[in-house]
Amino acid sequence: MQNRIQRAAKWLISGPPLLYLLIFFAAPSLIMGFAAFRFGGDYGGLMPLTQTDDAGKTTLLINLHNWHDFLTLESFGRFFEDSIYAGLFLKSFWYAGLTTIICIVMAYPLAWLIARSPKKTRDLLVLLVILPFWSNFLIRVYAWMIILGPQSYFSKVLNSVLAVFGVEPVSMLFSQFAVIVGLVYVHLPFMVLPLYANLEKHDMALLDAAQDLGANAWQRFWKVTWPLSLPGIWAGTALVFIPALGMFAIPDLLGGTNSIMVGNLIKQQFLDSRDWPFGSVLSIMLTLAVLLLAAFAAWAGSRGKEKQ
Amino acid sequence: MKKLLLALCLTAGFAQAEDVLHIYNWNNYIAPETVKRFETECKCKVVQDYYGAMDEMLAKLQAGAKGYDVVVPTGFAIPPLIKQGLVQPLDKSKLPNFKNVNPSFTNGWYDPGNKFSVPYAFTTTLVGFNDKKVKELNLDTSNWSVIFDPKVLEKIKGKITVLDDSRELFAAALMYNGYQANSTKRDEWKKAAETIKKAKPYWAAFNTQSYIKELTLGNIWVVHGYSSDFFQANIDAKTAKRPFGIAYGLQKEGNTLSVDNMMILKNAPRPDLALKFINFMLDGKNSSELTNMIGSGNPNAAAAKFVQPDIQKISAVFPDATAMKKLQQLNALEGKDLRDLGKLWTEVKTAK
Repeated sequence: MQNRIQRAAKWLISGPPLLYLLIFFAAPSLIMGFAAFRFGGDYGGLMPLTQTDDAGKTTLLINLHNWHDFLTLESFGRFFEDSIYAGLFLKSFWYAGLTTIICIVMAYPLAWLIARSPKKTRDLLVLLVILPFWSNFLIRVYAWMIILGPQSYFSKVLNSVLAVFGVEPVSMLFSQFAVIVGLVYVHLPFMVLPLYANLEKHDMALLDAAQDLGANAWQRFWKVTWPLSLPGIWAGTALVFIPALGMFAIPDLLGGTNSIMVGNLIKQQFLDSRDWPFGSVLSIMLTLAVLLLAAFAAWAGSRGKEKQ
Repeated sequence: MKKLLLALCLTAGFAQAEDVLHIYNWNNYIAPETVKRFETECKCKVVQDYYGAMDEMLAKLQAGAKGYDVVVPTGFAIPPLIKQGLVQPLDKSKLPNFKNVNPSFTNGWYDPGNKFSVPYAFTTTLVGFNDKKVKELNLDTSNWSVIFDPKVLEKIKGKITVLDDSRELFAAALMYNGYQANSTKRDEWKKAAETIKKAKPYWAAFNTQSYIKELTLGNIWVVHGYSSDFFQANIDAKTAKRPFGIAYGLQKEGNTLSVDNMMILKNAPRPDLALKFINFMLDGKNSSELTNMIGSGNPNAAAAKFVQPDIQKISAVFPDATAMKKLQQLNALEGKDLRDLGKLWTEVKTAK
């Protein structure tokens, strides 16, 4: 009896989110997977599988004999026949990877500082980290357009300093540099928060013990704190790398003529070229690439453990 | 939005039984005083809903949105609306003011004989620029070389943006090479793509979203963009008391033209009010108010005398007969053409 109630409660609690994911994640993914094999419509979108006559009766056009008129591998072929798509994937991975690394380097000391400050200030500092979320993402990126623009005080001061050293003035807006700045800025809190949650739980006695055993400051960090903080790093990496990989708004707004990422390409297929099948292929390929990377990371991780 | 619309309908409905006209239009695309005057004249209420892109409007109507009477699509979006049976033919006997429309804008490829659509306003795609800088550098903006010729671009490297729109940018590059804006010949496309690739290193960005601001701030000096945006940029520059203005003019090789048209939806609740509204908007004075507000091109021959004199002089707003001949409307690409251009566009955008 007790058991049955427990089981029912478990389903009641986990059911709604499960259903939500099933409907709003799995179903669209399946639709997209199916769209990747279809032909494009005359005015963009997809070639219809049904037809409605004047009387309002709808008939299904596709059947077991003519399915090859409606389904195709053409869009996949297009992805592989030219290296520009693979090149763009690599570039996007590079942008997202660089963003993740910079985020780790910047977030680690900050998270450490927050985790080691007194309880009262700690809450305030965490609040400050999430404060930027109170204003809209696009407005914050627009702010960066002003900061990086040539008329801003930041640019003017920087360029006058460069002029002292005889360096040509630099233009920061509309460049790959601006894209990375934007990506790091937007994703930094997503690295700080999981790292902080992790570092806060560390037992300080471990560091004292290491010191007693003769470890210097660097050894204490590298042998004790760092390995313990790896789960936080991985959580942050997943939260930063994956969204950064699919980002299109930042390259659109801050990027120059040579800064598009795969997200821009996917958006372009759906909105500009209205080529849904190819857009779906690109999305699937991106998902696969991320899964592959995750699998590789897991494999490398388990191998590392075996060696130890 | 739908709920809001419904709420608006209901409140309006209580106040004035059933006389409500629903317009689905571009954002900021009708003067408020015009709406007020129409409401007094027809003794009805006007409810507006807006879109920011043709795809948005098409997607919503194709998904079966109901309750709108009048919609204002750009030329290339009209064939899909007609073909899918979403609009109804216009009864011209109820539109006496149709005679006001400049014949250059009637009979478009998208609706021969204007059976379904009537021109509302237009924009041209052209070069806009910082007048002070262009004068200082002695640049010639009367042709497309100021966007595409590396020799000219050297002087303004990093101070140019072009539209992030494959059709518009290819059209400009095609015209620069002496081809038709609507060409689908692959060798001509290739030539245009090469032109773009050669000029690309000199451009600051592909920019459709923020060039008004960049021009107004003085960050960017030469822009491939839309006439009504440059009108806005010039007003902004004046308001901010900048030491320069934003000017714009048509190019010798030709420019693209987008005509927005009024249409009545098939499931319009009040086609009678819709016809009244269309006829009202075809009146010269009513039509002129939009041009005075946003500097849109005006296809209404009777509107010119009501338009502010300084706007009348702008060739992009009132093109003369010779300029008119060089304006080309982009048609809708279909099937393989659409996909191939998409591919070329990716190539151009990822090229080093």
